[in-house]
Amino acid sequence: MNKARIKANLYLYAVLPRLEELAKLDDEARRIAGELDLVVQFVVNAGPAVQIAIKNGEIKAHRGKVVKPGVALFFHSCDQLVRMFNQETVIPIPYRGFTKLPLMKKFTRLTEILTRYLEPSDEDLKDPKFKAAHVEMSLMVGMAGAREIADLDPKMQKVVKKLPNGTLLFQVEGGPSAHVIVDNRRIFALNGPISDPVGTLTLKNVDIAADVMAKKVDTFAALGIGDIKVSGLIPLVDEFNALMDRVSYFLMK
Amino acid sequence: MTEYKFNESMAMFQRAAAVIPSGISGNKNPAFAVPGSFPYFAVRGQDCRYWDVDGNEYIDYLCGYGPIVLGFNHPGIEAAAAKQREVGGVFNHPTPLSVELAEKMVGLIPFADWAAFGRNGSDVTTYAIQAAREYTQRRKIIMAKGAYHGSHAWCTPGHGGLIDEDYRQVLTFTWNDADELADLVKANEGDVAGIILTPYHHPAFGDQILPAPGFLADVRRICDEHDIVLICDDVRAGFRLDIRGSHEYFGFQPDISTYCKAIANGYCVSAIVGRDKLKNAASNVFFTGTYYTSAVEIAAAIACIDILQETKGIEKMLKHGQMLMDGLRKLSESHGVGIRLSGPPSIPYMTFAKETNFRRSQLFSGECAKRGVIFHPHHNWFLMTAHEEEHIQKTLDVADECFGIVKKEFGE
Repeated sequence: MNKARIKANLYLYAVLPRLEELAKLDDEARRIAGELDLVVQFVVNAGPAVQIAIKNGEIKAHRGKVVKPGVALFFHSCDQLVRMFNQETVIPIPYRGFTKLPLMKKFTRLTEILTRYLEPSDEDLKDPKFKAAHVEMSLMVGMAGAREIADLDPKMQKVVKKLPNGTLLFQVEGGPSAHVIVDNRRIFALNGPISDPVGTLTLKNVDIAADVMAKKVDTFAALGIGDIKVSGLIPLVDEFNALMDRVSYFLMK
Repeated sequence: MTEYKFNESMAMFQRAAAVIPSGISGNKNPAFAVPGSFPYFAVRGQDCRYWDVDGNEYIDYLCGYGPIVLGFNHPGIEAAAAKQREVGGVFNHPTPLSVELAEKMVGLIPFADWAAFGRNGSDVTTYAIQAAREYTQRRKIIMAKGAYHGSHAWCTPGHGGLIDEDYRQVLTFTWNDADELADLVKANEGDVAGIILTPYHHPAFGDQILPAPGFLADVRRICDEHDIVLICDDVRAGFRLDIRGSHEYFGFQPDISTYCKAIANGYCVSAIVGRDKLKNAASNVFFTGTYYTSAVEIAAAIACIDILQETKGIEKMLKHGQMLMDGLRKLSESHGVGIRLSGPPSIPYMTFAKETNFRRSQLFSGECAKRGVIFHPHHNWFLMTAHEEEHIQKTLDVADECFGIVKKEFGE
């Protein structure tokens, strides 16, 4: 699997769906989402497809082509999609919804806000609320992205083979949480907690979590100090972390 | 009982984390035990006990992850090492002690025609597969899923710093499944150089599994039929089951066997022995390291093997290990907490019957550590000859209290 395909899957299935959390966590995004009634579809030739449905202030992401979209954007290659996400000038082919294209300005604004949360400035991170939202969305990018890595990244197949079944909870004390279900090497990532997980990784606070997301933390040292705690089926945590590390690698520009 | 504190361990770890990647690297990193409920740094040891930087005293069933087989600071070993240290350890050449140890091992291990020495287990397991590849002129190595054969790139359970090519020629099969192994060999006909197996299966994060009846004989037969070198990785179990090697305990004959851990009671020596037919191939492999011939450690190994033989040390460990296992079983029953005990008595391991996620094991081990007994939650345990009945009883007293804590927390 080539790098562009893996990146395209990550952008469409792990990054773009974070608009779901954005509409809940950011005031401007919620307001914009309240003004839209729109389904935007991204389709890559021989690649991934996703629909972003915006209605009544809520945003939902769906893999594939579920409903008739308001606007459909076609990318002739994964590389083209990746370049767009890397903020290069790329013009996808709109093949449906020409009359609704003006609404895309608002959609684009949503993606700009999302980018700010996922690639925050030091100034942004001084705001505790912003930081907590950044952590929540970044955590979900990593966890949802792990599925794509597990499915597509040849380098990680050795890890995937060893991935035990079970539920894994990632949580920040006093902050957000997310969990994954691993079932026969398939990964399903969901926001929020889960009861009785077989493995748990707990980050001491939002500040530690943000530093972990930014790769500023020696995680094994943090485990010894107690800034990060793991319990339960540690191999599941360890193998899953290896997948999440690859998400970061592919999303680095 | 008063619960231990680990303040100095934590303070030392903070210092370590500032200047050492991970603070403590590899399997000794706190993450692999019970962070916050285990000591991080040790300062001294005596017989079956050691003391951490907080001054806490422990009866130890991890034995430095295996090497301490006679006891910490054993006078016979220390005397042998000191005697050699007085005249020098590292020279431009090996000392006659290397020849003496090689002769001792060849005399001790029935199938062995030659021996060589490294420092750590990975040195010799890697050497073993290189010798097998040189002998057969083939590429592939087969190992059991979940088995640990060291930290070198071809077999490390870690993730960092690896490329696909490091492990592309390493295949895995399910322990005890001779049919799966036969199919794997058939699918790679003419390309399998060696099958490397521990004498019984002792994965981390799992119960230990003894060889099923006929399994090791089947492996031997498959190797013979396909001219594959059978390597016994006896690094972890060696010198705790049979002084002639664990293959004798389980009744099979490998072509190469590797040892480390218990060979020198804490001095860093590893060893490989093999059949005559592999001697030239082994000779063609460039096997060396700065300290491979260091004589102090070799002297300790000679003394350790002698003492184990003279004192019938292995029989003692098996006996006291059985005492420990029986005691734990009885206590768990009295508390109504189900456990699984696995492995041979001198290398026991315990997990809890009602779980697969180790939370009970982590609680039990952490509480035991806080009361002066080291049981690892995820890794097999070890006996040493310094464990006496009084230590086993003291251990069981601690376990009794800790089973109660598990019962209170989990109910069963």
